[in-house]
Amino acid sequence: MDSSQFNARISGFGWVSSSGFGCGHSSDFNGFAAGELPQVQRQDLFDKPDRRFGRMDSFSRLGLAAITLALRDAGLEAWQQKRPVALLAETTTGCLQTDCDYYATVLPDQGALASPQLFAYTLSNTFLGEAALRFGLTGNCQVINSCDATALSVIHSALDLLQWQESEAVAVGFCDLTDYGALAAPGALFMVVEPTEQDAQGLILNRDNDGQLRLNDQPIDELNQLLMLLSHQYGSA
Amino acid sequence: MRKVLITDSALVTGLGDDLTTTWRRLLAGDSAIRAVENFDTGNYVSSVAALINDLPVTDGQSRLYPLLERLLSQLSPLPPLTSMPTRLLTATTKGAIDLLEQQCRDQAEFSQLLTTLPGAMTQWLNQRLALNDRAQNINAACASSTLAIARGAAMIAHGQAEVVLVVCADLVSEFVFSGFSALQALSPGASRPFDAERCGLTLGEGAAAVVLMSEQAAEQHQRPCQAQLCGWGAANDANHITAPARDGCGLIQAVNQALTRAEIDADRVDAISAHGTGTVYNDMMELTAFESLFAGRNLSISSVKGAFGHTLGAAGGIETVLAIPTLNDRLVPPTCGFVTAEQFADGQVSSQPQPFSGDMLLSTNSGFGGVNAALLIKRGDNG
Repeated sequence: MDSSQFNARISGFGWVSSSGFGCGHSSDFNGFAAGELPQVQRQDLFDKPDRRFGRMDSFSRLGLAAITLALRDAGLEAWQQKRPVALLAETTTGCLQTDCDYYATVLPDQGALASPQLFAYTLSNTFLGEAALRFGLTGNCQVINSCDATALSVIHSALDLLQWQESEAVAVGFCDLTDYGALAAPGALFMVVEPTEQDAQGLILNRDNDGQLRLNDQPIDELNQLLMLLSHQYGSA
Repeated sequence: MRKVLITDSALVTGLGDDLTTTWRRLLAGDSAIRAVENFDTGNYVSSVAALINDLPVTDGQSRLYPLLERLLSQLSPLPPLTSMPTRLLTATTKGAIDLLEQQCRDQAEFSQLLTTLPGAMTQWLNQRLALNDRAQNINAACASSTLAIARGAAMIAHGQAEVVLVVCADLVSEFVFSGFSALQALSPGASRPFDAERCGLTLGEGAAAVVLMSEQAAEQHQRPCQAQLCGWGAANDANHITAPARDGCGLIQAVNQALTRAEIDADRVDAISAHGTGTVYNDMMELTAFESLFAGRNLSISSVKGAFGHTLGAAGGIETVLAIPTLNDRLVPPTCGFVTAEQFADGQVSSQPQPFSGDMLLSTNSGFGGVNAALLIKRGDNG
C-alpha cells in the first residue's frame, strides 16, 4: 500500500458481545467469543422512549448499540448541530437473517402480506442511517463487505477518509449476528477515530508509509491483534 | 491530487447489452419497461419492470453471473500486473437475490445462504479476473455504485492505486419488488421522473463497469480517456431512513464537496444526470437541491429511470457510463415518461434529447439510510 504516514486517535469504542456490552474506556472488554448475544434494550442505551428501536431488526439493533456506546465513549453522543462524522461498517452476513424473515412474509400469500417494516431493514446499511439520524452524523455512510483475510480493510478505509480530509471523524467497526464475520463470533465493535498528532496520548493508531498499522507502537497485521491489544488494555481477563 | 480518468466502460441495461445500443435506444425515447413474467405480480401495486433480455435461468444458479459475464465480455483486458496491481471495488445491494429466494423457498440451511450475499459477487469477480485483491463491496443502498466510483477515484487521486475496476449490478426480484410495493413506492405504470403526475418508481435490472486509471497508467498502457472524474462527494441527510430530507440538505452537501474537490464553481456545471426515481419525494428533493445550487441557470436535467427502471445499487455506475456519450455528443438524454413539469423542472427536464454546451456533467444518486452521492464528470479525449 502506498500511503503516507498518518496518525489517528481512537477516542472511544463500544462493543456488544456474548459476554455483554459496554463502552471501551469504562468497562471490561474481553474480545469476542461464541455464545448468545445479550438482548440490548432501549433503556440500556437511551434515557428517552424510542419507538423505532423496538421495531428494528436484530442486526440493526446490534450495530446501533455498538455505535451508540462508541460515540458515548468518545463524548460525541450529545449534539445540537449535525456533524460531518462518517460511518463505516464491515459485515459478512449483514442483514441476511432479516432478509429471510422478510421473505417469509412474502411467500405465504404471494406478497399480499409483505412487511414494509421488515423490508426497510433488508439493506445492510439501514442501521447506519438509524445512527446518522439519531446522532446528526452527515458524513459518508456505507457498509463494506471485504475480501481481506486480515479484516483490516475497513479500518484502512476509515483512515483514508481522515487522511484525505473527506471526514473529520469516523465511527468504524464490525457487525455480524453470526460467526462468519471478521470478529469470528456474533457481536459488534465500533471505534471513533479522529486525526491526531504523533505524540498524542491515548489509543493511537498509526499507519506508516508502507501501510503497516500500529496501535500504540504495537504492529497490527490482522483484526485479532487489535482486539487482543484492546482487551489487554481494557479487559479483566 | 492526481487526475482520474475513465479509460474503459461496459454496460448492460434493459435497453441493450452494450453502451451503443442503450444510448441509441435511450435517445430514441424507447422504454424497456414491460410486464414482469418471472413471478406473479397479482398482489402488488405494479406489474411492470425493466428486465434484461435472455439471461439464462438455470436451476440452482443466479441470473447475476450470466449478467456479469455479459458485462465483462465488453471490457478490454486489464493492464498486466505491475508493482501496483488493479484494485477491485464492487457495488450491489442484494447480489444474487434470486438465489436467496430459491433457497428460502427450499428452506435451505443458513450456511447455504452465504453464496447469495453481496460479498459473494465480489469474491466471484476477484477470482474470475484473477485479481487476488483485497476487494471491497460497497453497500450504501441506491448510491452504492456512485460511492464505489468515488472511492476508486480517491484511491487514484491520492496515489494509493493506479488502476481501479468498479463493477456494479442488481437484479429485479420478487423480494425487492414486493418490498417497494409494500412501501407503496412503486408506480402502477412506467415511472415518470420529474413529472407533476409521477407516483412512484419502476424497478429495473442492470450492470455497469468502469476502469479508472491515473493519467500515468493510462499513458503507460495506451488507454484512451473516455472521461475524467473531477470531483466526488458523499453526505447523509441524518433525517429519515426511507425518505429524503425535503430541503435536499444531504444532496447539497454532497454536490458542494464534489465542486470543492474539483476546484470549480457551480457555474461550471453544464448539465445534470439526476437520480430521478419518479417518487414524489425524491424528485422534489432533487429539484429543490438543484434550485438551491444552480438558481437561475436553467440547466438541462435528465433521469434514465423512466426508460430502464431504477437499478438500485447499479444506478450510479450505469449513469456514470452513460455520462460518456452524454458529454461526447453534448446531448442530455430524454426523460422517458415526462409529460408535465413538476415545479422547478419546467424548461429543464424534457422527453426529448436536449443539446447543451460545455464539458462538465453532474451525476447524483440518493438512497435509503439518507445517503447522497455526487460525481463531477468531464468530457474525455474522444468527444
